[in-house]
Amino acid sequence: MLKVENIESGYGSMQVLWQPSLEVKKGSITSLLGPNGVGKSTLLRTILGSVEPWHGRITYEGRDITPLPTHKKVDLGITLVPEGKHLFVEMTVHENLIMGAYRKEAFQHMHDSLKLVYALFPVLKERDKQKAGSLSGGEQQMLTIARALMTKPKLIMLDEPSQVLAPKLVGEVFETIERLKAEIGLTILLVEQNAEASLKAADYVYIMHEGRIKAEGGAEEIAASRDMREAYLGI
Amino acid sequence: MILEQLIGNLIQGLVLGAIYGMATMGLSLIFGVLRVVNVGHGAFIMVGAFIAWWLFSALGVIPILAIPVALVIGLALGFIFYYSVLRRLIKAPELASLLATFSIGVLLEETAKLIFGSEFRGYNWAVGKITLPMTVLPMTKLYACLGSVLIAVLLYIWFNKTRAGTAMRSVVEDSEGAKVCGVNVEGVYAMSFALGIGLTVVSGVLLTMFIPVGINPYMGGPYTLKAFVIAVLGGLASPYGAFFGGLVFGLIENGSYTLFAFLPGVEPFALTRFFSCMMLLVILLIRPTGLLRAK
Repeated sequence: MLKVENIESGYGSMQVLWQPSLEVKKGSITSLLGPNGVGKSTLLRTILGSVEPWHGRITYEGRDITPLPTHKKVDLGITLVPEGKHLFVEMTVHENLIMGAYRKEAFQHMHDSLKLVYALFPVLKERDKQKAGSLSGGEQQMLTIARALMTKPKLIMLDEPSQVLAPKLVGEVFETIERLKAEIGLTILLVEQNAEASLKAADYVYIMHEGRIKAEGGAEEIAASRDMREAYLGI
Repeated sequence: MILEQLIGNLIQGLVLGAIYGMATMGLSLIFGVLRVVNVGHGAFIMVGAFIAWWLFSALGVIPILAIPVALVIGLALGFIFYYSVLRRLIKAPELASLLATFSIGVLLEETAKLIFGSEFRGYNWAVGKITLPMTVLPMTKLYACLGSVLIAVLLYIWFNKTRAGTAMRSVVEDSEGAKVCGVNVEGVYAMSFALGIGLTVVSGVLLTMFIPVGINPYMGGPYTLKAFVIAVLGGLASPYGAFFGGLVFGLIENGSYTLFAFLPGVEPFALTRFFSCMMLLVILLIRPTGLLRAK
């Protein structure tokens, strides 16, 4: 569904990505693992276009989307749950969700999408008139995922969704991610530092190090490989 | 006697304050969305003032009808300056956009001087007046005040009820979040800058309806200063805060003018300007996020 080939990008004159390539199969959870600061977030942001690619090719459903601006990619059904949430904290929960349905096609399905996210996250329905900033950390993370679902995505990229959450909530977030795949049939590209939980949820895994892909394989295969776990994942 | 004069002036101050508020909304909108401080703000007010003066004295068009003309010219100037200059500077260090907007201001002033010369202009649109208990209010001032309030209300509706307005609000709050929702952030930048400039040029027309004299290429400077004080009063990034800041500023300016006039040996007009600078300093010292902001 998504294919990234030899991407280079970075910020200013600092190169972060050194030609990583990866592929995300339709209906799968693909996980991108690796320690902090190796370019995982940059890779997601480059795929979505908020960081400009300097070199390489991004193909989505057989179409070259490398030069497209972010909003055009959202139109095509790609979205990102960004690290640090980036909610509209002064708007209500409901307004945040409506913002997710900003693009024309998403707007036409807004009613159904709302039903879907309220069914997935009943707590958001209870708090729909509250300001997003007044929610707890876990609820904010749910809202960020819900807002992304409102864009009617086919491919959803999640950047550190379990970061700074209490252990109990981490389990809930991963449960949600697996439900997105199983119940809605979404394709998921997941960036995480929580390697153990990611390996359990993922179908296929890439390990990134210093802006490059160092290893890849089926989730079970990577989990079973002692070398891999010791060298890159520290578990 | 003093009290009567004070109340009379405060009424005038409230009317002028509404116009001040409207004249600051563009500055706040641009800062809120693009995080660019438009140092050339006053020059755009000057453009509006010249549009009102020229249409009235050359073509006999009444200032109310100059408002839509000013809006169109302001939007066009906004788009032109955004795409030719500011687009490149949004991610640059702040000094770059400060210098750029300052230069745009100088460019507008000198262009106006080239076309109209540097003498002071004025016009006289006499449509009667209403007599209030403490003061007399020309109808033109009342129209300008009502126009300002109406524009502020329309802007509020635009922000809260339209798709484009909501997109602007989302960019003000979190441009990264807006991007992942599919908002064309670059487009919102262009539109916000154009709208901010459009509002500012319109406010130039409204200001001449209150003060129909002193129209000159260099008239903008004091308005830039006042707009900064008002914007800081209102919390800098909020157009509505700016509007209420304008009301407060109009009251303080006219109130202090009346009181200063009773001090012997003092030129009250110069002192009000000193007073507004002091206000800016004091507010920045005690409440740098603005007096009207909750946090």
